[in-house]
Amino acid sequence: MSWWCAAQDTAWGWTWQPYVGVWVLVAALVLCRLLAESLWAPGASLDHTDKRGRRLPLYLTGVAVLWIAADWPIGPLGAGYLLSVHTIQYIVFAFVAPPLLIAGTPRWLLRHMIRRHWASNIARTVSRPLVAFLIFNVVLLATHLPSVVDGLTASQLGSFAVDMSWLTAGLVLWWPILGPLPELNPMPYPGRIVYLIANVFIPTVPAAFLTYATYPIYALYELAPPIGSLTAVEDQQIAGMIMKIVGGFIVLGTASVLFFKWARAEERREEGRPAV
Amino acid sequence: MNLTANLNATAILAVVVAAACVADQPPRPEDLRGTSYAQPMQKPDFTLRTTDGDSFDFRTETDGVVTLLFFGYTSCPDICPIHMGNIAAVLRTLPPDVSRRVKVVMVTTDPERDTPERFGAWLKNFDPSFVGLIGPLAEVNEIQIQLNLPPANRYGDDDRSYTVGHSARVIAFTADNRAHVSYPFGTRQNDWAHDLPLLVKPNWEAN
Repeated sequence: MSWWCAAQDTAWGWTWQPYVGVWVLVAALVLCRLLAESLWAPGASLDHTDKRGRRLPLYLTGVAVLWIAADWPIGPLGAGYLLSVHTIQYIVFAFVAPPLLIAGTPRWLLRHMIRRHWASNIARTVSRPLVAFLIFNVVLLATHLPSVVDGLTASQLGSFAVDMSWLTAGLVLWWPILGPLPELNPMPYPGRIVYLIANVFIPTVPAAFLTYATYPIYALYELAPPIGSLTAVEDQQIAGMIMKIVGGFIVLGTASVLFFKWARAEERREEGRPAV
Repeated sequence: MNLTANLNATAILAVVVAAACVADQPPRPEDLRGTSYAQPMQKPDFTLRTTDGDSFDFRTETDGVVTLLFFGYTSCPDICPIHMGNIAAVLRTLPPDVSRRVKVVMVTTDPERDTPERFGAWLKNFDPSFVGLIGPLAEVNEIQIQLNLPPANRYGDDDRSYTVGHSARVIAFTADNRAHVSYPFGTRQNDWAHDLPLLVKPNWEAN
């Protein structure tokens, strides 16, 4: 029984393997949320967007996609066999789960989480778009360096560290868009759109390397027991395209939604109605 | 004016001669990324059957040609397909004047399961030019011992799902019919792309 998915020397087999660490993480995320809901949910001060349990399905969807990306078969396939699956994990950990987790957390709970001075400082700091931009992109580039991928993904602890750094960087990336409470001075819509578009460019660097390299970049995936007839370079090219196209689609798609929300808010403002 | 012209001509000639000398220098095993042999190894003399059923005299058929010799089997889950896949992938990327001068020969260490049809089809998946050789395991092991490789061993009792322990090294014979380097498992495509153009150089006999 393993704690977390890591590269293995054995040939891939479709035999189910338990990964206890993944279950512990998923259980902790769900239990903490339910416990917070039952212990700290304020009775009277909830507005219509924060009614008890209203955002819970979003949060649970975020946890579910994390579970799917980290557990068998995607977890071990991505950790030790196919770079394309490793990139799908990256997309889920950084671009899919974090916005669902943030959007699925009610404001009263966010306020409760940052009630302490140090937590409030962290929230305030990562609400600054430049800080969030730097943190996310440094993590993105660092976790795609060949020495980091080959060195860390071979061990359970290293693989766990990479996955959690993606999740943390993803939360930081999406926080200025979805997280800031009014008291944290959230960016206006145009700022959020520009911030999101800026975050499309840096990932194109590793994506371009993956797509256009003549030879495999990572020893781990080049020397992994092969699966099917996919060559290491083809797998790498698919990974590059996933990183560029799927990641870009999510970010630009969100920017488009924000644009329409902005337009709607402007319309409402002109009509004299409160913006939602 | 004449003196200047003469000096220029002399300088150009010197550069050309120096460049020609560097270009003609024999490659050194230590310039390669493979593992060097302390003493170059002679090409072994053996004859086995190809997957097409023809007789293949290794020394004659590969005389003067860069030859990568590997011992493995088609049911191998990792080392064999990775080695063959990496070599085939790199050969496709190299200029034809390099790739056409490299012959890849694989000898099966599992003659019971590796029928000519199965072995031939497996190799063609990587590159149709790869040569597959089949012979009795005792004979194949003799060849491996000659090459300082450990003999292949069968592990497991099940007649269908046993594994075969075998050497993971690819031995590279150059045009002088000697092996100066071998390549262990873990050799990457970048390493092959670096070494194959050096291995096909004609003047290895100077080493």
